[in-house]
Amino acid sequence: MRAETFRAIDGLDLAPEYRALLRPGEAETDSHGNVHRLPRFFYEIDSWQQAHEIRFAPHFTLAELMLVDCREAELLLREFPHYVPCAVILLAMFLEDFRREVGAPIFISANGGYRSPAHQIGGAKSIHAWGTAANIYRVGDTFLDDAKSIERYGTIACSLSQAVLVRRFGSGAGETDDHLHLDLGFVSLAPRECSEAS
Amino acid sequence: MTSVAESSTSLRNELEKIAGESKANAISVAVLDLESGFRFSLAGDRWFHAASTIKVAVLLAIFRATDEGRLRLDDPLHVRNRFLSAADGSPFRLSPTSDGMPELYRAIGRTVKISALAEGMITASSNLATNLLLDFVGVEYARNVLRDAQVSGVELRRGVQDENAHERGIDNEVTADGLLTLLCAVRGDFLKQQSREEIIRILLAQRFNSMIPAGLPPHATVAHKTGEISTACHDAGIVYLPEREPYIVVILTEFDPEKDGRYQTLVDISSLIYRSLTGRGLEKQ
Repeated sequence: MRAETFRAIDGLDLAPEYRALLRPGEAETDSHGNVHRLPRFFYEIDSWQQAHEIRFAPHFTLAELMLVDCREAELLLREFPHYVPCAVILLAMFLEDFRREVGAPIFISANGGYRSPAHQIGGAKSIHAWGTAANIYRVGDTFLDDAKSIERYGTIACSLSQAVLVRRFGSGAGETDDHLHLDLGFVSLAPRECSEAS
Repeated sequence: MTSVAESSTSLRNELEKIAGESKANAISVAVLDLESGFRFSLAGDRWFHAASTIKVAVLLAIFRATDEGRLRLDDPLHVRNRFLSAADGSPFRLSPTSDGMPELYRAIGRTVKISALAEGMITASSNLATNLLLDFVGVEYARNVLRDAQVSGVELRRGVQDENAHERGIDNEVTADGLLTLLCAVRGDFLKQQSREEIIRILLAQRFNSMIPAGLPPHATVAHKTGEISTACHDAGIVYLPEREPYIVVILTEFDPEKDGRYQTLVDISSLIYRSLTGRGLEKQ
């Protein structure tokens, strides 16, 4: 299923209970004190079947980038439609480049793609709430759970774009030791058919 | 008719005989017969390393959380083999080779339903499932559940295989009386009926049946949880017999690491308690 065959919506038009969880366009301060606006435009996903059918890139379905566990807000976990920031398409494109470069399938963990601002892990301060971050726990047959593998694939990811940030190996704040975190920054995407006037 | 005092004395004498003949360093037993109300305890307040018997406490917390609407059993949970030590917050991982549910490690990165984790934690004694569930509900929450259930004698302090914590003396500990109280809470009114029935179903599906069940006639069924580490060998459960009300039995033992005969000691004790409560031998029913 191509991206243009499903609907992009303005989060400000959503019902109040969704707006309260997704907080479209609201300002949020990150851990460094910088202010960013949360995503405003979302793809509306009607079912898991649809999420599995939607391919933003040849080897990535939307389902892989929106799998969360029960730490997600109840309404966003159990009810459809689901809403995913439109910038997730940029993440999928980068992951496709990354996959091509490493020459092997890559695996995104649960809670490792888009998480809403209401998710218990990270909340609105996490860049995962922008849909532009991925936690990769496995590349081919290699589980990324040691310094060697995380640094190796982190270096490859960074070589593909200056926009990419990877977290260093380690168990301290801002470090990872059982997956490779990469992100494209606080990118928001406004689809052509959507207006940012209001 | 034998009085309660005579029954207790007789059982105590027989247990002390088994204890003397075994190579155990310590034996503790607690019994509650739900048919007669007979209650018995031998060193019931002695503390032991809980080993995997602590998983019953985690199970109680999970079902309490379900009753309180904090989670649903069919909720998905991220499977991740990374936990933080109760001692110093340092990360540690579990080994699939010492886990009763090695297939769960193939789900790392994905999600598994809480119900499957709860079942694996008990029936296969999965350490990974245990730590995932405890990590999710939180040690403090689980401790509060034990307190609310008025269970004393069960000290839940950390997840399993937390070596850093163990080296610093931070261990999960139980007494026989405490585990008996915990099993009473499992089958009592503390949980909603649906949770109670499900928790008993899981305990009945136990795969490790070489201790309490091995000392019983074939028609007995046991909702139980074993626990074994190098120096401890335990079993605690509810024994169901079709002809009478169930009884609860907890057997905790300590052995030197190389000593054998552990299982047989527990089997002998289980058999003795069965005979003592029912007045029957182990003939086929």
